[in-house]
Amino acid sequence: MNFLYFDPGLGAMIVQAVVAGAAGVLLFSKGVMYKVKSFFGLTKEKEDTYDSIDIEEQDTDDKKN
Amino acid sequence: MTKKTNAHEASFRDPSGYIFHDNGTLRRAIKPVYFPQYKKLTESGFFQNLIQNGLLIPHEETSNSPEEIVITPEKIPFITNPYEWSFEQYRHAALHTLKIQKYALSKGFILKDASAYNVTFHKGKPIFIDTLSFDFYEEGTPWRAYKQFITHFFGPLVLAKYHGTEIFKMMQTYIDGIPVKLISSLLPTRTKLSSTLYPNIHLLAKMESKHSEDYKAETKIATLSKKAQENILQSLFEYIKDLKLKETSEWGDYYNKTNYNETAFEAKKELIKKWIKPLNPQKLIDVGGNDGTFGRTVIDSVPHIMVTDIDSNAVDHNYRQVQQNKEENMLPFVCDVLQPAPSVGFNNTERNSLIERLKEYSPDVTMALALIHHITLSGNVPFEKSAAFFASFSKNLIIELPTRDDSWVESLLVRKREFINHFDFYNEIEFEKGYSTYFDLEKKEAVMGTKRILYLYKRK
Repeated sequence: MNFLYFDPGLGAMIVQAVVAGAAGVLLFSKGVMYKVKSFFGLTKEKEDTYDSIDIEEQDTDDKKN
Repeated sequence: MTKKTNAHEASFRDPSGYIFHDNGTLRRAIKPVYFPQYKKLTESGFFQNLIQNGLLIPHEETSNSPEEIVITPEKIPFITNPYEWSFEQYRHAALHTLKIQKYALSKGFILKDASAYNVTFHKGKPIFIDTLSFDFYEEGTPWRAYKQFITHFFGPLVLAKYHGTEIFKMMQTYIDGIPVKLISSLLPTRTKLSSTLYPNIHLLAKMESKHSEDYKAETKIATLSKKAQENILQSLFEYIKDLKLKETSEWGDYYNKTNYNETAFEAKKELIKKWIKPLNPQKLIDVGGNDGTFGRTVIDSVPHIMVTDIDSNAVDHNYRQVQQNKEENMLPFVCDVLQPAPSVGFNNTERNSLIERLKEYSPDVTMALALIHHITLSGNVPFEKSAAFFASFSKNLIIELPTRDDSWVESLLVRKREFINHFDFYNEIEFEKGYSTYFDLEKKEAVMGTKRILYLYKRK
């Protein structure tokens, strides 16, 4: 990479493997819990402008045309 | 080389380019080393999509030569810094950063840094302002800005959850984020049981000290799949999304316990509206403006309004209203008038002090309602000194003086106990004398149904 202009922290680079593992387990179990809850109708929708990490895509495709 | 001399003082770390002032317009120069990234980001529609989704500040390419490309971003009237954000603002800025990184990753890019200073608030929302923060993603590499995200965003937010938003002020001292070791030591021991906090903070702190003596950079960096990195981003996002603050407010519900009735409250609103209208302000600041109630009386006629308060909860409340009403011209932020944000960073010039920024912003009208008794009596600031403070950035000043008969003032005075006589100067005559040093009196009127007087001053 060309832009190593600040020290990312070696420990921080190594630890990400563990963090990702823990996150994977957590997200998976959350997903299971959500399915169980929604089966019993226990989920509720919250209103927040930041409710999802994903952003809308439609504009990118339009531009290519 | 006039450009170089006008280079922005915060713009020297990143070799990709720099920001400079060009006759009052802020522009960004891109160096050839960053041309491949810039071209790909532009041509693939990546920038365009982020801009259309309101995530990245819009820019225009204003010149293009083999030595330098210059882009001009949309002007942001006032930059607020992380230590001036309320909890909700801070939380949104963090989520904003993760959102961008997740999207970048899906398009073969990464955020090469995750500094909290890359985000500010504009048109009622957080916006990413460092257009050159993107780089190509290399398959299998961990996110190099991960630690920065923890020290700039995740750590401060989690600490605020346990210790309150005063924690954000630590960002003034630690310009590159609160050290991980410090975050870890400040968190309660029980957080070591959290499946998110343990790996992201405690284990990170341990690993960082373990590998701090790798002077020759010999240890191999493990690879990390894209999916694994997405999991990190997703789990941090979910955790921050659900973060809540438990903190009682001193002023948050101030208007429910005011010492005057609703008619008086409305009368004050009307009076302020009447005074502001002929001044036709383009920019207005309400210092100590709580949740923006009085600022909102003129929200339809003033293009840009800033409301500050010492209480992060009040600012939060204001920010929520901004979101709900989709107000684009209201900017709330946290400010302690008795100790405004200083200039920080290398050479003390990386981040400007509040006063410097306010001078540049140069509001047409400054409001200070129900504030002077706090400055004078709680802060022991003489009238002449507070007048000098307001005069340093204000053209017109609307200031409210609660008289000695006002119950708040009475209470503040009583609390002085045996020193109460030291505050005999707190009266109409002394106030007017102090303020006449810097201002000319334009209007003066008692607020109906209260023991308060409203003044309109013009700077000399």
